[in-house]
Amino acid sequence: MKTHSPFAPLLLFAFLTLLLLPVLVLLIWSVARSWPWPSLLPAAYSAAEWKSLFSASSRLVPVLLQSVLLAGGVTLLSLAASVPAAKALGLLSFPGKSVVEMLVLAPVIVPPLSYAPGMHLLFLRLGIADSFAGVLLAHLVPCLPYGIRILTNVFRALGDRLEMQARVLGASPAQAFLHVTLPLIAPGMASAGGLLFIVSLSQYLLTFFLGGGRIVTLSMVLLPLVKDGERAAAAVWSTLFIAVSLLFCLLMERAAKRCASSRDTFFLS
Amino acid sequence: MKSALRAYLLLTPALLVLGALFLGGFAPSFLQSFGYFPAVGMTEPTLSFYREVFGGREFLPSLLFSLRIAFLSSAGAVVFGALLALLLLRTGRGEKIEGALAAIPVIVPHTVAVLLVLNLLARTGLLARLLFASGFISSPDGMPSLVFDRGGLGVIAVYLWKGIPFAAAVVYVVLRNMNTRLWESATVLGASRFQAFRYVVLPLLLPSLSSTFVLLFGFSFGAFEAPFLIGPTFPRALPVAAYSAYIHPDPTFRPYSMVMVVVITFIAMLLVYLYSFFLAGEERAS
Repeated sequence: MKTHSPFAPLLLFAFLTLLLLPVLVLLIWSVARSWPWPSLLPAAYSAAEWKSLFSASSRLVPVLLQSVLLAGGVTLLSLAASVPAAKALGLLSFPGKSVVEMLVLAPVIVPPLSYAPGMHLLFLRLGIADSFAGVLLAHLVPCLPYGIRILTNVFRALGDRLEMQARVLGASPAQAFLHVTLPLIAPGMASAGGLLFIVSLSQYLLTFFLGGGRIVTLSMVLLPLVKDGERAAAAVWSTLFIAVSLLFCLLMERAAKRCASSRDTFFLS
Repeated sequence: MKSALRAYLLLTPALLVLGALFLGGFAPSFLQSFGYFPAVGMTEPTLSFYREVFGGREFLPSLLFSLRIAFLSSAGAVVFGALLALLLLRTGRGEKIEGALAAIPVIVPHTVAVLLVLNLLARTGLLARLLFASGFISSPDGMPSLVFDRGGLGVIAVYLWKGIPFAAAVVYVVLRNMNTRLWESATVLGASRFQAFRYVVLPLLLPSLSSTFVLLFGFSFGAFEAPFLIGPTFPRALPVAAYSAYIHPDPTFRPYSMVMVVVITFIAMLLVYLYSFFLAGEERAS
C-alpha cells in the first residue's frame, strides 16, 4: 500500500510534531531560567531547578522512595492476583463468567471518585486509613483490570496443552506451573508489570483520599505544582516522572528477556 | 462442575479485592446519596438530596459539560487516530514508530499532559508566541482563551493528546492484520480508493473504533485532574463539582457530593456494559 505522493509523509510529519513538540517544550522549560514573552526560545538557561531537585533539602529521596515502593508493591500484588484470575478467564468456562468479566473490566472505566470515599470509611474502621498499606490496597482496584486483561489474552494464546503435557509426564501442579507455564507467560507478565507500575504511579485522587496527604508520591507533588503555575519546577518533576516510568518498563522488558532465554524452550519449536 | 469450582478458586484473590474494595467502596456512597450516613447521625433515607442536586443551578450544566468534553475528545481521538494509523501504514513507517507512539500517552499522566497543553496554549504559550511572531496578534491579550475557557478546549486538548496515539495504535494493529487482498480486490473490481475504504475497510474497523471510542469516553468523562487544573470555574466538570462538595468541612454536606458520584458511576457502568458488548464483537470478528 505504499504510495509516492508527498502528501502522506508531510501529514504524518505534522501529526508527529503536534504529538512530540509538547514533550520537547517540557524539557526546555526544565532548563529555562527566563523565558519572557514573546521569545520563541528562553532568554537564559540554567540547571537551577535540576540542582535544587537533587539538593539535600529536596523532597526527592522520600518522594521517589515512597512512589517506587508503592508502585512496585502494587505491581507485584496485582500480578500475583492477576495470573490465577487470568488463567480462569482465559482457559476455563464456568457459570457466571460474563458477570465476572464485566466486574474485572469495570474499574478501567469507573473512576476512583466512585469508590474512594467509601473505601476511606472502610479503611478508617479497619485502622489502615492514611497509611501506606491502605493506599497499596486501594491502588489494586484500578490496576487489577489491566493485569487480568493482558494476562487473559496471554493464556488464551498459550492454551493449556503444554501444562497438561507436563502433568501427564508426572509433574505436580506446582512443578508444571513453575517450570512450564511461568517461563511462557513471563514476557506477558513483564509488559503487564510495566503498565501496572505506571497506572499506580499516576493515581492522584485515590492516593490523596486514602493517604490523607501523608503518602506523598510523584503525582501528589506534581498536581499542586501545575495548579500553582510553577512551570519550571513542574517541568523538572514531570521529566522525573516520565524517566522513572520509562526506566521501570525497560527493566521489566530486560527481566522478561533474561527469563525467556535462560530456560530450555526447545519443546516449542 | 469441578472446573467451575477450580475457576472460582483461581479467581478468589481478584474477586475478593474487587468485591470488597470496588463494590464495597461504592456501597456507602450509594447509601449516603439517599441521606443514610449513620456515622454522622443521618439515618432517615430520603430522596431530598437528589431533588436538591438535580434542581440546583450547577448540576445540569456540569453534566452536559462533562458529556460534551468526553464526546468531543473521544470522537476526535478516534477520527484523528484512525487517520494517523492509515498514514503510518501508507508511508510504511509504522513498524518503527508505532510502539513508541503507543507508549507516550500511557507513560505521560493527565497532570503532565495538562502542563504540556498549558505550555502550548496558554495566553503566553508557544502558540501565542508563534502567532505574535507571524503578526497575527500584537499582545497576549489578543490570544483567544484556549485554557480555563467555558468550552473546555484546554481539557479537550489534553484528552486528544493522550487519546490520538492510543486510538492510532489500536487501529494500526487491526489494519496491519487485515488481509490487504480484500482492499486490493475491491480496487481491481472497480471501486475507487474512497469506496474501497468506505465499504471494505471501514466496516472491518468499526468494532475496534467503537470500543476505543467508548473506552476513551469513559476515561475523559470520569477523570478529575484535567478539568480540575485547566477547566472553567463554571460550569465545573461533574467529577470536579463532586470533589469540591466532598471536601466540604461539614460532613452532613457529603450526600450532595454522593448524588453526583452516583450519577457518574451510573453513566460509567453503562459505558462498561457498552464496552464489553463491543469487545465481544471485536473478539468474534478476529
